Amino acid sequence: MSDKTINISDVVNLPLDLKEQKKALEQKSPAVVEGKVKVYDPNKDNVKNLLEMLKNKLSRQTVSSLVGCVHCGMCSDSCHYALARPHDPTMTPAYKADQIRQIFKRYIDWTGRIFPWWVHAKTPKNDEDLNRLKNIVFGTCSGCRRCTLNCPMGVDTAVLVRLTRGLLTELGIVPEGVFVVDKDSWETGNQMGVSQEDYIETLEWQEEEVQAELDDPSFKIPIDKEDCDFMYTVNPREIKYDPRSIAYACKIFHMAGESWTMPSFGWDQTNFGLFSGDDKLGGYIAKNLYEAAKRLRAKRIVISECGHGYRSSRWEGYNWAKYKQDIPSESVLITLIRYINQGLIKVDPSRNPLPITYHDSCNLARSGDLTEEPRWILERICTDFREMHPNRSDNFCCTGGGGALSMVEYKPLRIEVAKVKADQLKATGAKLVCTSCHNCVDGLSDLIKHYKLDMQVVQILDLVAEALVIPEKTEKK
Amino acid sequence: MSEFLRILEDEVQIVALAFMATVYTIRLIWMFRFKAGKEVTKPVGSPRVGVAYSMMNVAMPWAMESARKNLSFYVQFVIFHLGVLMAITATLILPYWPEFFESEPIVRIFQLFMGAAFAVGLIRLIRRITSPVMRLISTPDDYFSVALLTAWFAAGVFAMPNQYEVSEWPLILFFGMTTLFLIYVPFSKISHYLYYPFTRYFLGKTMGHRGVFPRKKGGEKPAGLE
Ligand code: HEM
Ligand code: SF4
Ligand code: SF4
Repeated sequence: MSDKTINISDVVNLPLDLKEQKKALEQKSPAVVEGKVKVYDPNKDNVKNLLEMLKNKLSRQTVSSLVGCVHCGMCSDSCHYALARPHDPTMTPAYKADQIRQIFKRYIDWTGRIFPWWVHAKTPKNDEDLNRLKNIVFGTCSGCRRCTLNCPMGVDTAVLVRLTRGLLTELGIVPEGVFVVDKDSWETGNQMGVSQEDYIETLEWQEEEVQAELDDPSFKIPIDKEDCDFMYTVNPREIKYDPRSIAYACKIFHMAGESWTMPSFGWDQTNFGLFSGDDKLGGYIAKNLYEAAKRLRAKRIVISECGHGYRSSRWEGYNWAKYKQDIPSESVLITLIRYINQGLIKVDPSRNPLPITYHDSCNLARSGDLTEEPRWILERICTDFREMHPNRSDNFCCTGGGGALSMVEYKPLRIEVAKVKADQLKATGAKLVCTSCHNCVDGLSDLIKHYKLDMQVVQILDLVAEALVIPEKTEKK
Repeated sequence: MSEFLRILEDEVQIVALAFMATVYTIRLIWMFRFKAGKEVTKPVGSPRVGVAYSMMNVAMPWAMESARKNLSFYVQFVIFHLGVLMAITATLILPYWPEFFESEPIVRIFQLFMGAAFAVGLIRLIRRITSPVMRLISTPDDYFSVALLTAWFAAGVFAMPNQYEVSEWPLILFFGMTTLFLIYVPFSKISHYLYYPFTRYFLGKTMGHRGVFPRKKGGEKPAGLE
């Protein structure tokens, strides 16, 4: 159980940490020198710049959400921050969105420009206010969109939070973790700063592993092969911390007799632009992926298991990059369904006998279209599936969404509000919680450890690999 | 009926309505001047179905956890807005078809709806004042809007019998408040009905396009089976 409740002013008043920004400046980091990643400049009129940018960034969608809130408070019971901290009204989604709404009202809307006090229209006074704004939008919201789907007016609070993050990112007023990941993304084309060499080496290593397992030297992880049926794209976390998941996927593609490849560049299907609110970065990363598929003349893009990666690559990325979708892209879950349904691979559910529940990643279920797909697979690869409640687009966030895992300064609050998720997991009585997102794996693992739950996190690919029936001739000797 | 009340019920209302319509027209032009983000991806679901589902949300309490789990709040919402509907209807009928309110059952029905809406308004006002969450997010406009409507419903209850020959004051109060209301509304959060189609359209379009709306409950056919 959570032992203490955080004093929210400790979070909201966390200072702007500039160590990484200074380091990047000293090292003349290319992304900083080229102005792709912004560093904080105390000599600039940051408040004025924020207001100017706000004016330019507003779309009809965001304006509707800014003017549409009736302050009915119905969203407060949908947010895991608010539910876990009932004593703290600042956790209410409308309050978080109001931080930018107040500025909008003061500078752009009508009534607030004439009678600001009447509608609580307000202006940030100085950079300290902007820093507080940073702590609210980065530290107290995981952008899970649960409030959005529970707002009777259809106000998209998560989008407003992201809009605000984007403005602050342009001013360098961001948590250290966000700055570092943004910089790495611009400089290496992936959010974990994995070098091309490490990427290729990891794939070669996994290739050898699968060759040994199948006793099949002909098994290959094809890199930059042209004219394949699909190009497989992964999360850099797989390269760095979980290469098995790549091996599993590749083994399954091989068993299904698939024609596929992985690109040497443009392989990161995740996208930190979604979290930092930087559409330019979002567009850049997504475009790398789309261009790689074009270059290789792949017929499809397949996206490995990742909620925000899927949302970014399948949905938002094309819009950020203004890139008309020319070839289909799909989650690896769909690929797996096709294989199982067409009998291209055989699975034996008895190999996964432990009670399993499924955690819907917010980005797959609320901002994407994948809820029945993972369940269809789970029904065929395990024997004791238990639904978690609430589920699908009503599910609670793993609490590590919105880039929260990269912002260590907010971890105590994140873990405190994870109580909601911990209770939800515990009630299932399952021993394994399956998710289809690498980010959720880390978010859930953190809270399972903290709340001492007797549970492990797995992904669909882990379970499919476990259930996979390898025909005699290729079975390991 | 005095000339004052006649003008208040007729010309003054028309002028106030015209004012509101003008402000709303300008407001809509203002809204449309912000560029709408474009969707360039291939759809999974239907944006049209998504928009329809999203627009109907207000009449589907089962579709949203916040309403499902808090049905009394939803019932309040319905009662309150039915009161709004009845009160607006009354302001339009009273001046031009006063005979309509000669029927006692009709008067009673209008009074019942407005009375119930008045009670809800009071509950909402108390909730706004007493709940720390509501206090934190409430602005003077929020308090005033709900208070104004609540008072308007009360005035409506007394005005409904339309017995100006007994006393004109209930009608003067009701139409006086209607005037204030029509002039104030375009600048307040009460204009949410103007924004509802916008927010709901955009959310529905995106979510429909992605296959999130209509929300899945289980049993839907997964992709990949074709
Ligand atoms: C298409 C028409 C309308 C729609 C879809 C709509 C929708 C809503 C919704 C979803 C809420 C939030 C839920 C709640 O507080 O119960 C709300 C609140 C409210 N509505 Fe409406 N509404 C409409 C028309 C109106 C009109 C015409 C008025 C008044 C003239 C009005 C006055 C209010 C007020 C004052 C509140 C806030 C209640 C509070 O403070 O607790 N609405 N409306
Ligand atoms: S965001 Fe929606 S649910 Fe929340 S207070 Fe505003 S209108 Fe109500
Ligand atoms: S997006 Fe999620 S975390 Fe953020 S305010 Fe809404 S419900 Fe809370």
